[in-house]
Amino acid sequence: MADFSLKSRDEGDIVVIETDGYLNNLGGEEVAKACYERIDEGRTKFLLNLENSKVVNSIGVSILIEIIEKLQDVDGKLAYYNLAPIVEKTFSIMGLTKYSSIYASEAEAIENMA
Amino acid sequence: MVEQTNDKTDYYLASLHELGEVLIKEEQTQDMGRGILRLTLGTIMASKGAIFLYDKEKEIYFSLATQGFNEPGPLSSTPSQIEKLKYYSHGHILIEVAKKTFTKEMNLALDSFNAKIIIPLFYRNTFLGVVAVGKKFMNEEYSRADMKVLEIIANHLTKALFNYQILQNLEDKQNQLNLKLLELETLFDISVAISSVLNVEDLQEEILWRSIGVLNASKGVVLTPKDNSPIMEISASFNWQDENVLLSNKLKVFSRAIKEKRGTILTEKNKTSIQEKLGEENIIVAPLQAKDKNLGFMLLCNKETRTGNEPFNQNDRELLSSLCNQAAVALDNARLFKDITEEKQFNESILGSIATGVITLDTIGEIDSINHAGIKILKKEKKEILGNHYMFLFERDETIMALIQKTETEQKPQSEQSVSFLTVSDETIVNVSVAPRVDADNNVHGVVLAIEDITQQSKIKNTFKRYVSKQIVDQLLDDDARLNLGGEKRTVTILFTDIRGFTAMSEKMKPEEVVSTLNEYFSEMIDIVFKNNGTLDKIVGDELMIVFGAPILGDDDTERAVRTAQEMMDTLKKLNKKRNKRGMSNIHIGIGINSGPVVSGNIGSREMMDYTVIGDAVNLGARLCSNAAPGEIIASETVYNNTKDKFSFEKLEPIFVKGKKEKVEIYRAI
Repeated sequence: MADFSLKSRDEGDIVVIETDGYLNNLGGEEVAKACYERIDEGRTKFLLNLENSKVVNSIGVSILIEIIEKLQDVDGKLAYYNLAPIVEKTFSIMGLTKYSSIYASEAEAIENMA
Repeated sequence: MVEQTNDKTDYYLASLHELGEVLIKEEQTQDMGRGILRLTLGTIMASKGAIFLYDKEKEIYFSLATQGFNEPGPLSSTPSQIEKLKYYSHGHILIEVAKKTFTKEMNLALDSFNAKIIIPLFYRNTFLGVVAVGKKFMNEEYSRADMKVLEIIANHLTKALFNYQILQNLEDKQNQLNLKLLELETLFDISVAISSVLNVEDLQEEILWRSIGVLNASKGVVLTPKDNSPIMEISASFNWQDENVLLSNKLKVFSRAIKEKRGTILTEKNKTSIQEKLGEENIIVAPLQAKDKNLGFMLLCNKETRTGNEPFNQNDRELLSSLCNQAAVALDNARLFKDITEEKQFNESILGSIATGVITLDTIGEIDSINHAGIKILKKEKKEILGNHYMFLFERDETIMALIQKTETEQKPQSEQSVSFLTVSDETIVNVSVAPRVDADNNVHGVVLAIEDITQQSKIKNTFKRYVSKQIVDQLLDDDARLNLGGEKRTVTILFTDIRGFTAMSEKMKPEEVVSTLNEYFSEMIDIVFKNNGTLDKIVGDELMIVFGAPILGDDDTERAVRTAQEMMDTLKKLNKKRNKRGMSNIHIGIGINSGPVVSGNIGSREMMDYTVIGDAVNLGARLCSNAAPGEIIASETVYNNTKDKFSFEKLEPIFVKGKKEKVEIYRAI
């Protein structure tokens, strides 16, 4: 796997962020940065496509928790799709799924986040 | 005065009421601390103050909230100072006294906002921190009521802080539990992978990724040993920049890991060559060992935290060792599965490519496998064969059933050649071998049948075995495309020979003497025919008809025919000498040879069919033979023209033969 990178696009009022690489300290920080910039612009709905991030460590998880908490301040939502089974399991065990949602596809996420 | 006091009391009570709100409203400790400080300072009319919390582990104070001055960094303390503060656990300390217990650092911080009163925060015996307030507004004196209110507020603050600490600890513990759960789940998942079928490469990658995620490593590799080299192969990697780095299994770190059967941690304190090679300080290595077989190593670098990389710890080592133990078993299984699959495919491709049918029967006699050749031989669909009992499939073939039963009983291989295979058809002939089917422990689990369809060979042999030499039979078997039993035009050379005066001779002999004479003669002659690869077309009485060029065309058919004729004459001379010695008379033969187009094929009725040639050329050959004097070989012009370079001929007077208007040119072979 190469270094971390991400792409961001808008689907209506949802910011879709596609990550590529290890979601660790560095990767997590980049995601956080991308989210915070958009939150400052007034965006409140974020959807992460983690298809190309098959490994997430606990630091990455803690950064996602921070993003969730920040979104809670603005009544926002964070969701994910295309999770590798191990990542889904990690999120579930670490309690992320109580405050953010996992969807099977982008279409399903967009429908439910509307 | 009373009214002023009442107002003051109301004010204090209102503050206390508000205190309750602040305590329960704020979720974050810091917000609560700021709120309490503001309220406290507001209540006692001070403008500057601070709440310092004590970190027992690091033995420092850090500020929870400050007002009216710059927030200082961590301030040192000592346990002995905390002990002294216990005297004032339910009250307050004036700054002059308090300064004697604090460090210089703390005193400087207190001086920076002109602190006047210190309230230590003790919950039972646990020291949580201090509240420090600066001078009262307009430098007024603090009243007893102010002190009391301060103490009450501090009391509530202490309880609130203690609860927050408990909650924080709980949160931390929950987090740790979750991480432990994640570790266990990872171990469990890998153990599940042991029992499920996974491709070796995928499995290695999966295990590596999981280990990296759980241990918070930044990168890692799985190294596998190679057969003829100490340099290990990188069979899976994550975030690994240099795929060309050479890591030898002779490096101490690896041999130590194998010896100790667990992971090894490398830090900047115990630097080895591998850290230099990889350019990394913090490394953890664990062996992948299953049943004392070393399958390789997992090597991870850099334990990540929010603030940077740190060394791997004992917990990491234990976890990685457990992960690798599980992983090794899973990988061993996956490799075994791969080997078995490859062998199975290899066996299947062998069975698929051979021409012999291979059928396996299980312990109860049902067919559980058949190869492609077997299906072809049986001329049935696979689904009609598999699962059926051999007694059902081969019910028409007692020989085969008997062979199977004998093998089952005696548990020794049996075979039979040229057996009729009525299961297929009345004409089908096969060679059958049956052998017991054994497993690795030599237990018998049914039988294996090998069936070779020799119908075509049998046909050829049966058609020709009496007529041609073995060599020709073999040639035909090799390439039965040359064979066209149905009828074919071709150019052949025909040789006729008959015994001159045989009728008269036989009248003087006893019947058994006639037979033995003929047999003796034919035996010698036919040997020569076969030696020269001629085809014995027919024997009619004392006459022999030999064909050269059917069923197999040769380049030198005519030449061989002439040679055969000459050898026959030579052999006959020798035979006659023998006969003379026995007191028997000489045999004399005449030979006629012609070449020309004929039709060859199996001619006759279904019950009685022979391979032969017919045509004008045949008739001429017979006529030439009739015209040959005893000991004479008469050849046609065609034969002469084809072989004059090889043999000597004498031109004779042309003769009329039956069926031809013109005289035919004839030559005597000398």
